[in-house]
Amino acid sequence: MRAGRTWHDRHLGYLFVLPASLMLAAVLIFPAVITLKLSVTPEGGSGWHLTLIHYRKALRDPVLIQTFKNTFAFVALSLLGHFLLGLGLALALNQALPGQTFFRLLALIPWTIPDVVAGIIFRWLLNPIHGALNPLIRLVFPRFPAEFQWLSSPALAFPSVIVANIWRGYPLVMVMLLAGLMAIPRELYEAAAVDGAGWVKRFLHVTLPGLRTIILVALALDMVWEFRRFALVLTMTGGGPGTLTEVLSTLVYKTYFQFFTFEYASAMAILMSAVLFVLSLPYILLVGRER
Amino acid sequence: MKRNTKPLASLAVAAAAVILLVLVAAPAVAQVKIRFQTWHWNETPWVNSLNEFMKTFNAANPGIEVVRDDSRYGDKEAVFTTQSQAKAAADIAHFSYRPIRHFAERGYLLDLTPFIEKEGGAKYLAQWDASALEICKYKGKIYCLPDDLNPLVLMYNTVHFKEAGLDPAKPPATWAEFLDYAKKLTRAGRYGVGILGARQEGVFMRFNPWLWGAGGDYLTPDEKRSALDTREALEGFKFYVELFTKHKVVPPGVIEQGAQEVRTQLAHEKVSMIITLPAAPGIVQAINPKMNVREVMALAPVPVGKKKVTSAWFSLRVISAFTKNPEAAWKVYNAWYDRDSQMRNFKIAGVLSSRLDVRNSPEVKADKYAQVFSAQTPYVKLEPLVPEWPKIGDAMLTAIQEGLTGVKTPEAALRGAHEATNRALGVR
Repeated sequence: MRAGRTWHDRHLGYLFVLPASLMLAAVLIFPAVITLKLSVTPEGGSGWHLTLIHYRKALRDPVLIQTFKNTFAFVALSLLGHFLLGLGLALALNQALPGQTFFRLLALIPWTIPDVVAGIIFRWLLNPIHGALNPLIRLVFPRFPAEFQWLSSPALAFPSVIVANIWRGYPLVMVMLLAGLMAIPRELYEAAAVDGAGWVKRFLHVTLPGLRTIILVALALDMVWEFRRFALVLTMTGGGPGTLTEVLSTLVYKTYFQFFTFEYASAMAILMSAVLFVLSLPYILLVGRER
Repeated sequence: MKRNTKPLASLAVAAAAVILLVLVAAPAVAQVKIRFQTWHWNETPWVNSLNEFMKTFNAANPGIEVVRDDSRYGDKEAVFTTQSQAKAAADIAHFSYRPIRHFAERGYLLDLTPFIEKEGGAKYLAQWDASALEICKYKGKIYCLPDDLNPLVLMYNTVHFKEAGLDPAKPPATWAEFLDYAKKLTRAGRYGVGILGARQEGVFMRFNPWLWGAGGDYLTPDEKRSALDTREALEGFKFYVELFTKHKVVPPGVIEQGAQEVRTQLAHEKVSMIITLPAAPGIVQAINPKMNVREVMALAPVPVGKKKVTSAWFSLRVISAFTKNPEAAWKVYNAWYDRDSQMRNFKIAGVLSSRLDVRNSPEVKADKYAQVFSAQTPYVKLEPLVPEWPKIGDAMLTAIQEGLTGVKTPEAALRGAHEATNRALGVR
């Protein structure tokens, strides 16, 4: 049939994607090119005198290196939390229970809350004086300190931010896994049961293999999101105590808007994007292969 | 059949008349909109002063309309930077003195020198505090006029003083007294003093009197190196962080406390003393309307260490280099800085203008709070105006948080700030 298509038919599609492409170029490609150029421009310079000085500085910057480590830990632990909580809830919400739809909607609520709001909610929740968490814990453990510090504790600030981020972000993974669970044929479970497989074996040999692709996609997408997480960290701790909760996006923001070193911040942003691209490759390859 | 066309014709004539009227009248009502950007639009009592200014100006100037443009204190520089990069900044914007030279260097600010010359040049400028005006000058041009310049003082709850057996008429004058009072004022559910530890520029104003008061400083006199490795700097730094870590006279969660949180603690009687600025009584009153602030709260100079010194809240307004209506923007700007407007700011928000005729007016001199603030003006010191200040300030914020939370000892935390400051200054 292809031979019968006119030039008009073959090229009409390009016309349809043109508005989206122009929009993408305006909001993504143009700023990316500007950032790239800025990253190779001397500080306060302009024109086309280019330099790699900011990249050389970045590769030796102990603050940036520490922040990369913080970010990897933040992303890895958030992903683990999202996966465990998302999978657990997806399994629970896949059961035929009364009020199933209500509980599914309830579990989605954190996903609807903007990062800034979630950050402020947790900041107040964890406040040692006015916060709700300490009194709640004291209801169960009356000897728990009334003014226990969460975000001001060097040991607990980072875990607190990660817990908040797990709460805010698990629904994405949950929804994807729930869709995957619903697509696994019931017959497979019935056949496994007939063969004498218990729920652990059914989970390991039916559920997990059935979800493998979706898990990979969900975690790859989630990783990209978490790598860029900004407002939640900024509103909860601002990167503190000291720099213990500093992540790449908050450092880039600080370097650009507070230190006014646009060029160095751009180099950081480009490095961050490069790492993110490498980490996203499995997902990109997977999507390409599926097509 | 003959149709009666009279009503139709009348309608057409009436419509034409209306269109003509609109066309003729349109230029008369066309207004230049001037975006007036500040975070104070969201703060009581400031917003009352701003609304009054907007109403008065708009009524007196039919061709120009001042419009509200909200910023947030925490990211006002980020917003202005982004807007300036896009050449779409607010016509008039509000900052502390710290970023002015950065913005001027980047070409974001309109040079006000020609407007000032038209107003009378040196005679016009003589209306302002000369030292405050210096901050606005950069490379031979004037980029702003100083607005409110307010020394910081100690604000304390006299009722708490009486409860603790302290004489409200004798506030702490020295560091030793301050610590002693703070300990006596600390009791179940209440703390002697509220200090800031959050990552915000308001920390500097409340921390600097201790650093400088001990004889320490950020930089050497030639501003080429860090001076944070001196014994005096460590003494001031330790005094500040040990109020929390050692003496326990500060509420928990100190690194989560910014200026507004600490004022809230004072308003709700969680703390008894804070270091604060002239707008604080009004803000505290707004937070807790049930408290009779002018009865309960008293002011005193910041307790003295080795040196009598205080910091200041010093804000300025600028006109964007990208304004499409510089003449109209100047008209609004000039109106904001006139005597009546600045006096209104004092009456509503309690702030002290840099205008000498306002600061020295009988109304200001007679006010019990303004008297205390004014008396501290000779002891005001500002942070170094070096381009590296944002990095130096960030290093100090990091050190303060590390010291307050025990991530590092005060010595190690300050050493970290010292090294970061030298790195920022390019010292090898």
